[in-house]
Amino acid sequence: MTAGVIGNAADAGRKFVDRLVEENSKLVIVLIATFLAVLIAGMATAPNFLTIFNFKTIIRDAALVGIMAVGLTFVTLSGNFFLLSMKETAAICIITFATSMAAGYEFEISFLLTMIVAIAAGAAQGVLIGLGGNPIVVTLGAAGLLFGLASWWSDNLVVSFRRPHGAEWLGTGSFLGLPNITVAFILIAVTAELVLRYTKFGRQVYLIGANRAAGRATGHENFAMAIKACIIASVCSGFVAIAFSAQVSSAHVNYFSSEFGSSGDMTIMVIATVMVGGNSIMGGFGSTLRSSIGAVFISTVDNMMVLHGFNSGPRVLAVGLMIVFSIIVFALVRRGSRAQE
Amino acid sequence: MQPILRLTSISRTFGAIRALVDVEFEIRAGEVMGLVGENGAGKSTLVKIISGFDDGYVGEFELDGQFVRLASPARAERAGIAIAQQELSLIPTMSVAENIFLAGENVPVFATQRALAKKAERYLGEVGLDEVDPGIAVNRLSVGEQQLVEVARLLAREPRVLILDEPTAALGERDSARILDMAKKLAENGKSIVYVSHRLDEIFNICDRVTVLRDGRSHTPRDASELEVKSLVELMLGRELENMFPPKRAVSRAEPLLKVVDLWPDGALEPFNFNAFPGEILGLAGQLGSGSGYALAAMAGALKARGGAIEFGGHCFLPRSPKEAIRRGIAYCSDDRKLDGLFLGRPINENLSSPALSRISSVGILQKDAENSLARSNAEKFTVDLARLRAEAGLLSGGNQQKVALGKWLAIEPKIILVNEPTRGVDVGARAEIYAKLRELADEGAAIIFASTDIQEIAGLSDRVIAFYRGMQIDEIVGDRLKAAEILAKITHPFGSGLEKAATA
Repeated sequence: MTAGVIGNAADAGRKFVDRLVEENSKLVIVLIATFLAVLIAGMATAPNFLTIFNFKTIIRDAALVGIMAVGLTFVTLSGNFFLLSMKETAAICIITFATSMAAGYEFEISFLLTMIVAIAAGAAQGVLIGLGGNPIVVTLGAAGLLFGLASWWSDNLVVSFRRPHGAEWLGTGSFLGLPNITVAFILIAVTAELVLRYTKFGRQVYLIGANRAAGRATGHENFAMAIKACIIASVCSGFVAIAFSAQVSSAHVNYFSSEFGSSGDMTIMVIATVMVGGNSIMGGFGSTLRSSIGAVFISTVDNMMVLHGFNSGPRVLAVGLMIVFSIIVFALVRRGSRAQE
Repeated sequence: MQPILRLTSISRTFGAIRALVDVEFEIRAGEVMGLVGENGAGKSTLVKIISGFDDGYVGEFELDGQFVRLASPARAERAGIAIAQQELSLIPTMSVAENIFLAGENVPVFATQRALAKKAERYLGEVGLDEVDPGIAVNRLSVGEQQLVEVARLLAREPRVLILDEPTAALGERDSARILDMAKKLAENGKSIVYVSHRLDEIFNICDRVTVLRDGRSHTPRDASELEVKSLVELMLGRELENMFPPKRAVSRAEPLLKVVDLWPDGALEPFNFNAFPGEILGLAGQLGSGSGYALAAMAGALKARGGAIEFGGHCFLPRSPKEAIRRGIAYCSDDRKLDGLFLGRPINENLSSPALSRISSVGILQKDAENSLARSNAEKFTVDLARLRAEAGLLSGGNQQKVALGKWLAIEPKIILVNEPTRGVDVGARAEIYAKLRELADEGAAIIFASTDIQEIAGLSDRVIAFYRGMQIDEIVGDRLKAAEILAKITHPFGSGLEKAATA
């Protein structure tokens, strides 16, 4: 019985490898094999890597970056490139949230206020991009504006609020042993993927991203799309800001410039995540699922390197390598699958 | 007189397509040789071979009696052959003189603006731009003047053979006249000019001899003085494609389905007025830039219009976007399917359902069954391979891509179908299928309006034709007059010969 199961599994594995070999160039296989070998060796030798506690750490680390990456994926897939203002949107949101909490407002009110700020920031950028503004220029400008406002408003000081407060469940609570923020990440990732696959809006994201002119010609305008996508990305930023603030019961404009991932810079980490997931930078091809996997993947590699005692330099380098690697592999795989037709 | 350039039995194939078959071409010193033919006759392929852009031909290429093989444009240039292409290659923000000496040949490395300007004056004079200051930026000149600067730039390399590939396609009347004057003057100074044009009045105006290409084959060059418009047209048109077209219908023209009222699209010279009737295929004939394409795009909301409206379905409106036109049941297929007709990276079924997402979704959720059956039935109607519905549209051949680009509009069940260049870059088999399908849609009660630069297509498919010329609506052609020669005359020299026109102007 057991032997049969193992036999079937081995069979399936062999078929998978056969297909991989058949459909892809040698280069892809060598690249993937090398990468997996390094990864597995690293995991096996890292102290305490294969523990449940460490596994939870990995997805918790992946969650905050992952949620923002899922949001940003809508912008990228719809052909509107990236928002370079992700961490600055989070900065103004975290200051809004903490200031409101410190002033004694309920969690719900503070949450609502923060979301209004996030939506306004996203909508404003979306309108400019939708009118034909270059996404890089618009969002760099917005980044400076939002960060400046947040910094001015908070006097560049830490805004803290007292425990116990109504947001602790989100920051430090857990559900079935999983941190609530991880649960939120999973829920958001699944919802986003369902929206992309099964709704009219999701289809429009892909169509406009694949060919904006054809999208317009078939009645799908990028103006509305850019606004919607930017709002989704900004709302995800705002949500992450709230969750992080709830965890540390405070806020500072620099939290998202220094606390996240190997480089510490949230915008860089989020964009890296979208790219490592193998989404097309030009739009029209990819999914939020890819971004979610990218987040877990980066977090796994980073975690392994931390356990091995690497400091931030090599870890940033690893993220860079993963981006390059993913772009090459996905490009080759896609070319391979096209040649099959 | 000995020709300075002679091509003998030149053949060129692309895959299964034979673009040129045993073509002969020659040109003498100081001569203007017209090169004419329908779209797809092989003009551009031949021009590419002469100018060194295409080295994949079979045959002999003689220059001054020597056999040569010009494997690159740079070599052709060194051999004294220069080509002015339809797209300008000037740098708009640099001065006229800098553009003329852009390649840096025949000028000192550290030449001052003034030195360049002085040197440029001679070439500007040769193209009739004596009054233009060589120091001003190119983008301050008119398009026609820029075209002349482009030629001056080529002259700076002292070519013996100059190819002008449809130099007036994008120009107005006055600028065109300057180009023609320039070509004549250059020939008088001993240059040989190959003049490619669709505009027959220009050909008769300046050419000494004319070479006609038809379906990739050449005719012996004729003296322009021996030819008339009628005989030249007969040389250009073949008869062998006639059975490609579905039989025409007697259409009742009692109640128009759509009225175009004073529609003035951007780029047109004057407002357009015409009607379309249910069950009718209306052809808008005209060359590139004649305005026929603008009319369609403006009706579909894809191009801004200065004014006017369309009356359709009890409403009088001017669509501001394709979205509005689609909502009102107007489908529009542009002439460039790769630009805005297809989502090349997406599966074929998504392409086929793209204009009708609202129809296949309820409360924002896509109904995959509805989508699949819609895609299948429309693919079937346009004979797209059902097994490939999930493949990327970009993998299809040109003909199949065009069928998907057209077929997607069936999804909105349009009453008005606007098509610009329905069969550009489409093989013969798919062309016949597309014609048959358009006829079938008309029979079901839709009004089909299409624009084309292909005279045979216009003559063969249309029940009625409206001719356009340089942004003006010229004439309606219907009944017995609906013949290729008549249409060609209307869209190339609607006001009679060039001389008469000059007298009336």
